[in-house]
This record gives sequence, structure tokens and C-alpha cells, in this order.
Amino acid sequence: MSRAVLLGSLILILVLAGLATLRGAFVALSMPLLVYVLYGFWLSPDRIELQAQREIGAERVPVQTPVKIRVTITNMGPGLEELALQDALVAGLSITDGCNHHLISLARGGTFSFEYTVSGPRGSFPFEGIHIEGGDTLGLIRLPQNLPVGGQLFVLPDVTRVRQVYIRPRRTRAYAGTIPARVGGPGVEFFGVRDYEPGDSPRQINWRVSARHPENLYSNEYQQERVADVGIVLDGRERSNLFGGYSLFEHSVEAAGALADTFLAQGNRVGLLVYSQYVQWTLPGYGKLQRERILHALAGARTGASQVFDGLQYLPTRMFPSESQIVLVSPLVEDDYSTLIQLRARGYQVLVITPDPVSFEQAHLLRGRKGYGAADVELATRIVRMERRLMLGRLQRAGLQVVEWDVARPFEQAVRGSLRRQRQGTRR
Amino acid sequence: MMALIALLLSIVLGIGSLAWGYLQVGLPDFARWIVFAGVLWLIAVWQRWRWFATIGLIFSFAAAALGLWFLNFTPGWMFAGAIGGLLAWDLTFFRERLRFVASDEERQGMEGRHLVRIAALALIGFLLASVAMAVKFQFNFQWAVLLAVVAILGVIQLIAWFRKRGS
Repeated sequence: MSRAVLLGSLILILVLAGLATLRGAFVALSMPLLVYVLYGFWLSPDRIELQAQREIGAERVPVQTPVKIRVTITNMGPGLEELALQDALVAGLSITDGCNHHLISLARGGTFSFEYTVSGPRGSFPFEGIHIEGGDTLGLIRLPQNLPVGGQLFVLPDVTRVRQVYIRPRRTRAYAGTIPARVGGPGVEFFGVRDYEPGDSPRQINWRVSARHPENLYSNEYQQERVADVGIVLDGRERSNLFGGYSLFEHSVEAAGALADTFLAQGNRVGLLVYSQYVQWTLPGYGKLQRERILHALAGARTGASQVFDGLQYLPTRMFPSESQIVLVSPLVEDDYSTLIQLRARGYQVLVITPDPVSFEQAHLLRGRKGYGAADVELATRIVRMERRLMLGRLQRAGLQVVEWDVARPFEQAVRGSLRRQRQGTRR
Repeated sequence: MMALIALLLSIVLGIGSLAWGYLQVGLPDFARWIVFAGVLWLIAVWQRWRWFATIGLIFSFAAAALGLWFLNFTPGWMFAGAIGGLLAWDLTFFRERLRFVASDEERQGMEGRHLVRIAALALIGFLLASVAMAVKFQFNFQWAVLLAVVAILGVIQLIAWFRKRGS
């Protein structure tokens, strides 16, 4: 019940009691209440005219980095005896220093500023507005208002740079890059031998072949290296990421960020598709700007459950250029197998980075045992691991490049061997 | 800190006045119950049960009204008891709001201003109540009609004001 209503009711009861009993004592008893209420009403503001401004120290920061937020309020209307301010904090952010709510009195034309520091996990945090309540000094009347002051803080995922990621899509783009293009020309790796053409450097002449065929000279040809289209698919489905209350998704985000960074650094055109409750698509692009776009998309990526996107069969492959490289970052579930095989059959080169859910869940099960012993966990792990190995083996045999990552190890360290460019002859 | 001291003083003096008033007319049992309520209120302050302040306010005014109606006590003690309850109720909520004041200087300033204001209000209220008691012998049917009209107009005005604020 509002305080003013409570006092008003008390006054009314006393006055009515006085009238009913014809005893002035009741009316006299209501006098202190009446004075109190009238004074409160007299001091209460009839309107609030405030201007607010919010300055965010940095708009994009790494995880758990403190960010200073400064809010300035200017009173353009009548003086306010009591003004309660609260800068609404987005869920997920936590205050590490200072305070986001204040109670002040603000004279006409007066200005008040306050600062506080927040930090948070990966995410995109839009600030909604500043909630204010102006009123009288007795707290009887409150005029609430929401001052719409925009602003957004992006807490970007940590990006670990992977030195080299070896991919070999069937189709490349026209610009020079680092990916073998299956076309002869200037390059580093041997591609074949052709007839000598005027203008060829003597160093290009393959003397051994030319000696075998004395009527002609032959030159070595090297494989052209170009940039390619790379589509990174980040699997955010709850069923593939959540295990007994623990999530592998943060690891998947880390891997996607690292791969996107590396591919872009190599000059490729990279797009990102987050496949969770709905499909979030970051259009392909080049360079640092695209890196920012992808990191922003990763900052806002969340796991989600949806009946439509429960399986990978609704992966919108039309968004990826034909015969391009697709990188799927997913812990994988049993029924993903057929979709991945179909992708390969359509001509896409598919690299699957799969954070290992078995080791991940096993570690958590052993840490917090709930009614089962280590032997049970061990047996269950062996069975599940066998099933998983079987599935990964079938994917590899179908021509997919599969890299399993035990998330207990740093991503860069775990994939260093698997994603490095292999020497000619050992490449499959 | 000032607000807390003032709050405790308001409860002690308010409840003490009521209890003393009841004791003076030979009702020690009533006085004991009032003291018991006062102790509960002090415990509520300690435990930060803010809702109890509203019960305390209603209890103070009910006890004062009872004393003034049935028992014809000395009105001064009853008014003092009711005003003590009002001040304690106000200070409970004021302390709650004070939690949001960031700087100590500002807190002290607000505390000081508020205490001066409510002390003045309490004094004015007490004086007006005493004056009203002094003129109680002239209270007749005409006064009652006038008061009824004023009360109805006041209620209408209050409702209109709330509706305006709400819109």
C-alpha cells in the first residue's frame, strides 16, 4: 500500500470516527497526520525534467575485464528534494566497484555524476535506461520515470591464435592466398611438368625430364595458392552442448573464434553461422572488419533448444558457396552423421572440430560423484567413447577432416598437429 | 547513525508516553502490553522488519484513540504517543532510502535536513492537536457538518490528484 494512501486512510478513519461519536479528540488526533501529509504534498514535484548521459569506458573488452561506466544527470526542471537513480544493469554483468543506484537531492539546473565498474562473462550487454524516482523528502509521493539512454558493451571471447590451419577446398577465389588452388602457376609446392615456354626462368627447367626427352625442354610447374571461402558453423544446440548441467559451448566459441581469426589472417573470406535456437548468420567478408563482426556475433552466441533446429539437417547450406570449405565446430551427436556425409557429397570440403564431450563429462562425473562409483563411470566412458570413435572413424572414411579436441588442453596445443600443413605425400 | 538514534528515541518516547498515560489512570496491564509492543518494535528495527513499522503506526494511533475515547486520559500523553509512532514509521522508511546515498557527507546532510523537518512537523502537529482539544467544547452539529463536507472534498481532491499522477 502506498504510504500516502495509508496516512490518508488513517486521517479519514479518525475524522469519520470523530463525526460518528461527536468527539473532537479524534479530529485532534488526526492533526499531526494531516500536517505530515500536507507538507509532503506541498514539497512533491509536479514534473520531472532530467537529462541523462552514460559514458562507457570501452565498448568491446575481453572476458572479465573491468569497464568504467559514468552516468551524468542534469536537472532541467524544478528542484527535486529526493531523487532515486538506478542505472539498470543487464543480467550477467556484475559490479566490481562503485554503486549503480543513488539517492540525491538535485536543485534546478544541478548536475550529478556517478561512476561504477562492471565486468562480465562473454556476451553482448545492451544498457536499457536509467530508472529514476523523484519525490518529496517524506517519501509520500514518487514519480517514476525511465530515461532512455542507449549503450552497449560487448565482452568478446578470448581469441587464441592458431598458427596455421590447413584446409583444401575444391574451389578457391581469384586472389592470392595460402590455400593450394589445384591450378598450376607461381607457388611453392610442386604441381607438375609442362613444356618449356619462352620467359621461363632457367631455375624452373626440370633438367631430369628434359634429359630424358632431348627434343624438348620441360619446366616445373607449381601450385597456385589463393584465398578461399570458409564458412564456420558453430553448433549451439543444447542437446549437443549441455552435459549434466555443464556446457561445452564456451569451448566451441573459443575454437570458432580462433579459427575465424586464423582464416581471416590468411586472407580468406570467412562467414559465421551460429546454429542454435535459430540461425544467426554473419555474411562472409575479409579482413579486420569481418573479424570484428564475427567476434561480435560470437559474443552474443547462446545455446538454445528448438524443435526445428534439433538436428543439423536444416543447416542452410545455400549460404555457403558451392565447393567451398565448411568448418563445423560441434561436439556432435549420433544423428549428425548423415547430414555431414551429405555435405561432403555435395562437394563441400568439411573440417569438423569436435570438442570431446566424453572426457569433458567424465571429468565432471568423477569430480562430483552422485551415487555411482569410479568404476561405473569408467565403464560408461569406455562404451560411449567406442561409439564416438566409431562415428568419427566413419566420418573420416567418408572424406571429412575430423579433429577431436580434449578441452582440458588449450585449443592451439590440441589442434597444432592435426591442422598443420602436411608434407606432400602424407596428405590425404 | 543520527536517523537510527532518532528512530529508537521516537519508539521509546512514543511507546513510553502511551504506557505512562495508561499507567496514570490505573491500567498497568494495558501499559505492560504497550511496552511489550514497543519491545517488539525495537526488535523489528534490529531485524530490519520494515513492514512492522506500519503495524506500529496503526497500533500507536489505535492506542491513542482508545485512550482519548473510552478512558478520557490526559490527551498530551496520547498525542505524544501517536506522534512518536508517526516519527518512528517515517524514520524506518527514511533509513531504508538512505541506503542508496553514496557519500557520507550527503548522507549526513540528508539526515540532518530530514530530522529538522520532521521535528518541526511533529511540533506543529502537536500544537494543532492541542489547540483542537482546547476548542473541543465548541464542537457541535454545525462543526460536524462542516468537517464532513471538508472531509468529502478532501477525499475527492485526493482521488483526482492520484488519477492525474497516474495518467
